Amino acid sequence: MADLQKPSRWAVAATISGGLMVGLLSGWWAITGGMGGQNYSGWYGSSVTGSTDAGPWLRARVAISGLLALNKSQAIYFTRKTDDGGQPLREDCNYRVNGGAMPGQWWSITVYAADNYLPLNDDDALSFDATEVQPDAQGKWTGVLSATKPAEGAWASTRKAGNFDITLRIYQPSKSAQTNFAAIPMPTVTRLECGGKA
Amino acid sequence: MKRPVKLALLFAVAAAVGHVGLVYVTPHFLMNIAMKRISQDGKLINQFYFGPRTTQNSRGVVRPSPDLAYSSCAYDLSGGPLLIEAQPSPDNGYVSISVFAANTDNIAVFDSAINPQGIRFVLAREGQATPAGEKVVISPSDKGIVLDRRLAPSAERFAAIDPARRGDKCQPI
Repeated sequence: MADLQKPSRWAVAATISGGLMVGLLSGWWAITGGMGGQNYSGWYGSSVTGSTDAGPWLRARVAISGLLALNKSQAIYFTRKTDDGGQPLREDCNYRVNGGAMPGQWWSITVYAADNYLPLNDDDALSFDATEVQPDAQGKWTGVLSATKPAEGAWASTRKAGNFDITLRIYQPSKSAQTNFAAIPMPTVTRLECGGKA
Repeated sequence: MKRPVKLALLFAVAAAVGHVGLVYVTPHFLMNIAMKRISQDGKLINQFYFGPRTTQNSRGVVRPSPDLAYSSCAYDLSGGPLLIEAQPSPDNGYVSISVFAANTDNIAVFDSAINPQGIRFVLAREGQATPAGEKVVISPSDKGIVLDRRLAPSAERFAAIDPARRGDKCQPI
C-alpha cells in the first residue's frame, strides 16, 4: 500500500523545479535595474560600490551594470534614469544639466543606452566633463543632453540612446565627499522640450 | 510531516538556493567573461592589452567612459607573483592602476596624484615569496584583472598618452 504522506517523485521534481525557477527569477529581479544604492537628489549611488564591503546583492548589481567600478577612495559613481520631474530620460527630449564645483579632481557625465553601453551614434560627444564646461565666477556650469548639437556649450549626445540613463563620475573625490555623499552638490537635470515641443 | 508541508518546505529551500546561487555566481561569471575577452581567449595572460580609444563600439565591458583610455591585464598568480608598473602620462594627467579580484572586488588602487613618478607594486597570493622592499598587493584569488585608466577625453589627448601607457608592465617576476 502506498505511503499517502510521502510525495511522489514527480511531485518532488516539480516542486524543486518550480522553487528554483522562482528563486532564479527573484534573484534576477534583485540584481538588475542598475548599480543600486541610495537616492541623492535623483542620482543613485552607493558608498560600497567596488569595495570589499559590498554585500553579495550590490556586488552582483555592480557586476552587471558597472563591472570594474573603482571603490570610493578613487571614484564615486552616481546614475540617474529620470529628470528632476521624475520622468524617464528620453532620446526625443532635450535636457539642461546644471551644477557647481564638484568635490573631486575631475568629473564627467556620460550617456548610456538601456543595454549599459554607449549609444550607437558617431557624434564623438558621448559625455561632457570638467574640462569642457565653462564655470562662471560662482563655479556654476551648464551642459546639455540632446540628440542634436546645441549652438554652444558642453554637450552629450543622446542620439540613438532611446530611453537612457546618465552616470556622474567624480574621480579622486575629497575625503568629505567620500564620507558623506549627501553633502555632494548634485547636478540638476531639467527637461527642456520633447519632440520639438516645450 | 504532512505531504503539503514537505512540498512547501522543499519549494522554499529550492527557491532560496536558486536566488542566492544566482546572486553569488553572477559576479564570478561576468568576471570570467571579461577576463576571457581581455586576454583574447587566454592568449594574453599576465600582459597588458592596450585598448583602442573608447567609442560607441566599445563593447568589452559595460559602461566604459569615453573620457578614459583603458589598458587591462588578465592576471593569473598560480605561477607566482607579478610585477605591475605604469609610467606617468606625459601631460601629468590622471593615471590609476586598479586591481580586481575574481569576485569583482576592487582590492587595490594607486593613482598619479600619490605616485607622480609612476606606479609600481608586486601582485601576489598570500604566502607567495615577494622581493624585499617592494610594495605588495595580496589578491584573494589566483585570477583577476589589473586596469590602467588614463584621462584622455579627446583624440588628441589619447594620441598623446598612448605611447606612455605602452610602457606598462604586468609580468612574472
